Amino acid sequence: MPATDYQGSFLGRISIRRNQVMSMEGNHEQELEDLELFQKHVADRFAELAPPSPSQPSDDIPSDPILSIAWIRKLLDVFLCCDAEFKAILIMGRDPSQISKPPLDRLIPEMLDRDVKALDICNAITNGIEAVRHYQKLAEIAVSALEQRPFGDGQVKRARKALTSLITAMACEDKDGANYTRTWSFGRRGAAAAGNNKSTGQLRSLSWSVSKNWSAAKQIHAMSANLVAPRGTEASGLALPVYIMSTILLFVMWTMVATIPCQERSGLATHFPVPKQLVWAQSIIGLHEKIAEEWKKKEKKGSAGLLEEMQKLDKLGQSLIEFTDSFQFPAEDERAEEVSAHLAELGETCRRMEEGLVPLQVQIREVFHRIVRSRAEFLDVLDLNGKSSALAM
Amino acid sequence: MAGYQSVNPNHEGDQHLIAAAHHILKLLGAIRNLSDDTRKLLADLDIHLSIMTGNTINNGGEAIEVEKRLKCAERMVLRWQANQSMIWDTGPGEVSEFLGAIDEVQTLIDSFSGVSVNENGRVRELLYRANNIVQVAMLRLQEELIHILVHHKLYFEPEYVSFHSCRADVIYDESFVSLEDESVEASQRVSNTGSVSGEYIVDLIHPQVVPDLKAIANAMIAANYDQEFCAAFIGARQDALNEYFFVILELEKFSIDDVLKMKWSTLSSEIKKWNWAMKIIIRVYLASEKQLCNKILGGFDTVCSLCFVEIAKATFLCLLNFGEAVAMGSTQPEKLFCLLDMYEVLDDLLLEIDSLLFEEAGSYIRIEFHELLRKLGHSARQAFQELQKAIAADSSMKPLPRGGIHPLTRYVMNYIKTLTIYDDTLNLLFEDQNTEDTHSIVESETEQDISPITFCPLACHLRSITSALECSLVVKSRLYREDSLRHIFLMNNIHYVVQKIKGSDLRIFFGDEWIRKHIGKFQQHATSYQRATWCSVLSFLRDDGHCSNSVLKTSYKERCREFTNAFEDVYKIQIQWCITDPQLKEDLRISTSLKVIHAYRTFIGRNRISDKHIKYTVDDLEKLLLDFFEGTWRTLRNSRRR
Repeated sequence: MPATDYQGSFLGRISIRRNQVMSMEGNHEQELEDLELFQKHVADRFAELAPPSPSQPSDDIPSDPILSIAWIRKLLDVFLCCDAEFKAILIMGRDPSQISKPPLDRLIPEMLDRDVKALDICNAITNGIEAVRHYQKLAEIAVSALEQRPFGDGQVKRARKALTSLITAMACEDKDGANYTRTWSFGRRGAAAAGNNKSTGQLRSLSWSVSKNWSAAKQIHAMSANLVAPRGTEASGLALPVYIMSTILLFVMWTMVATIPCQERSGLATHFPVPKQLVWAQSIIGLHEKIAEEWKKKEKKGSAGLLEEMQKLDKLGQSLIEFTDSFQFPAEDERAEEVSAHLAELGETCRRMEEGLVPLQVQIREVFHRIVRSRAEFLDVLDLNGKSSALAM
Repeated sequence: MAGYQSVNPNHEGDQHLIAAAHHILKLLGAIRNLSDDTRKLLADLDIHLSIMTGNTINNGGEAIEVEKRLKCAERMVLRWQANQSMIWDTGPGEVSEFLGAIDEVQTLIDSFSGVSVNENGRVRELLYRANNIVQVAMLRLQEELIHILVHHKLYFEPEYVSFHSCRADVIYDESFVSLEDESVEASQRVSNTGSVSGEYIVDLIHPQVVPDLKAIANAMIAANYDQEFCAAFIGARQDALNEYFFVILELEKFSIDDVLKMKWSTLSSEIKKWNWAMKIIIRVYLASEKQLCNKILGGFDTVCSLCFVEIAKATFLCLLNFGEAVAMGSTQPEKLFCLLDMYEVLDDLLLEIDSLLFEEAGSYIRIEFHELLRKLGHSARQAFQELQKAIAADSSMKPLPRGGIHPLTRYVMNYIKTLTIYDDTLNLLFEDQNTEDTHSIVESETEQDISPITFCPLACHLRSITSALECSLVVKSRLYREDSLRHIFLMNNIHYVVQKIKGSDLRIFFGDEWIRKHIGKFQQHATSYQRATWCSVLSFLRDDGHCSNSVLKTSYKERCREFTNAFEDVYKIQIQWCITDPQLKEDLRISTSLKVIHAYRTFIGRNRISDKHIKYTVDDLEKLLLDFFEGTWRTLRNSRRR
């Protein structure tokens, strides 16, 4: 995991920092160098996430496609690395009083507020992954039905039903403002049975993944509302890493909201409030533009979520439904071959989901706990300051 | 049935054997009084034997037999397609017929498995048909499954009593400050040891339909429709759990943002709800859900544990996240009790959580709960330390009028009195901390009859809290201009502390030595008060015996008048002062009375001062002394002037 790769470099720097505690005030040059390095690392890490440009195809290792589960996991790794380095710069070996000086006295509480919002987004996404796992299960039914030999009407019907549920579920999930509900009530009788129960409708509206009226789009908006790039002298001081880290947090959360189903994401902002001239932000801005474009397309078409695997399920699911519609016994060989290619791809997608979704959930939980811990560390420092300033009075 | 598959009759010997078996079957079939089951079994065997010999199905009578049976099953299954009513609602006969048909088709499919379908067009065609019947039947079973799950779900209605009593008490919030000595702890522990304890398994589905559900599960899993079964089962049970959570228990989901911004009163009541819900949902509902899964899916262990975790996951995470949010929040001392309650509830449930999420699928949630317990413990310790800080930081610039018991004293004492209920938990939480520094507070207590509790980590922390309180009281006492009132204030407050400790479980934590020492302290303040107030007043009555008679006469009268004035001044002020404890007040009055009255009587008696010069008789004075420390504003003239 890249997380551990980066660990070495900044841990080394931390130990150096420890020795410098005493001479901190006078060591402005060291600080500038650290900030320089941090920006460079951020730029490098996000550059690695960018899709390979078509002009220089990477021939050796095929990189994970953007917005795939594997790619999101890399993105989260990058987040964890940046966060660790950020804390090394801002907290470790630093005189805590520096954090309570303007402009940090305002910027840090703002950042902590963003952290809390990010935690709720993490929870909403964890819930959304449950929905994606449900889609995976439906696709798996179709795959296992169509893979059966001999292959006849029974299997085709079984697959068709699973695929229809899959496509409806993915479409519904988006239409209902991503309030994820399982499409388990198959068939007319089942639906009627569920409908007879008068609390079911009420329940749907109650089973919020986060809380009533919570909206991922609004949270993202709130996170970006007071995010302003530092200017003038602030731009070279400690306000910069706070801004960089907040931008990364916003980008990571925004990307997850755009990619994975979660509660109320309609109206998700596609504007990214980061000045284009910032060198460290180039890759992030590039990624953001690309994803925002996809998101706009999605909003227009009303197609399934941006997650690469979900798009695959959608595309392959549609094509297999077409096949099952026109299926006549016995199947023509030509057609069967084409179907089996699609089927293999669907099977491969399911396998990737099976391998990736639960670890992704666990990783999001790791991000969650990291944010909780970082927040607590900053609060401790602020608390310490509160006390020392009280003593000074 | 699987046994048939491995047989491949290649050898001539096998062929003979099968022919012999055929013969035996025919003979057995001729027996008249066979039960239907047995007859069916024989027919099954016959078909298997036919298929095993390979080609007989093409032309023999068995092929017709297979087709006939398939057709029969098909009719049975398709008959229900047009029918709107549910099979399981119709009657047990219909149910067993339907399940029998599925079983029949499944048996036929299984028996084909040894036959190469590519070579045998007839078999292939039959197999297609059989699969189609299975598909239709499974679709139906799924609908029936959902129907039964939705219509036969049951809910365990929790006892609201304990919760409401718990909800009504206000001990946790700000009103704590003004709370005197009510039976704070009595109402409070109800929630912890309340009605929900031990094994509580309830029926979440009507027990009558459980065998039906099991039959459906068996049929669907046997036909490899386990994924469809799981989807329907998990979905329906998740909805039931959601309904229980939101509608029956009337719980709400909160975002972390919500919890962190919550007003204290709302948060404290939500925390109580959480404690209550944790016990009901984990100990009763989810334990019962697990049992239900076991009953329906017993024998399919992987499917069973997967279903349970999927059903319960979202609810577990919701409960977990509320806990996380509380543990993340600020740690003001008021929160300590809530945190301790949550800690104890979770600690108590941890074993159950472990056993519910024993399997790999739920292990990460299980670990999270352990982690949450640690975090709650940490927050509780922080809140405890906040109390100490808050005592030190409490710096009102105005003295408390009348020298009574400071709200801080009341607050701290009621607070730590409540803490003793949590002694086990707190000792556990403090154990891993370095408590050496607080040990010194016990001082030279080396007597052997001291309870070990006096030295437990909690006891040390409690003593350090009261000593912080004492320091704070001394600082506050300096705000008084009169020395006397300063002593009254300290006497009152230390006496209150001692009484609180003596009259409660705190006694063993502090130990007799500590109590003796502190009784000495407030008695010292009583003595100091008397010296500060009365020395100067009584100095007028002192006999120095050096002056001549005439000078003395006027001087006696004068001194008597001066004494009366001084007494009146003291009276006017000190009747406003306050000693809330009647015994303490009585004691101080008596000893004051002894001193003052004795000196006055002696002075008047010895110097034979005539009545007209005496404003107050000894009796008057005695009565007046009774007005002291009543905290009243009475004026002397109206009530006592004669």
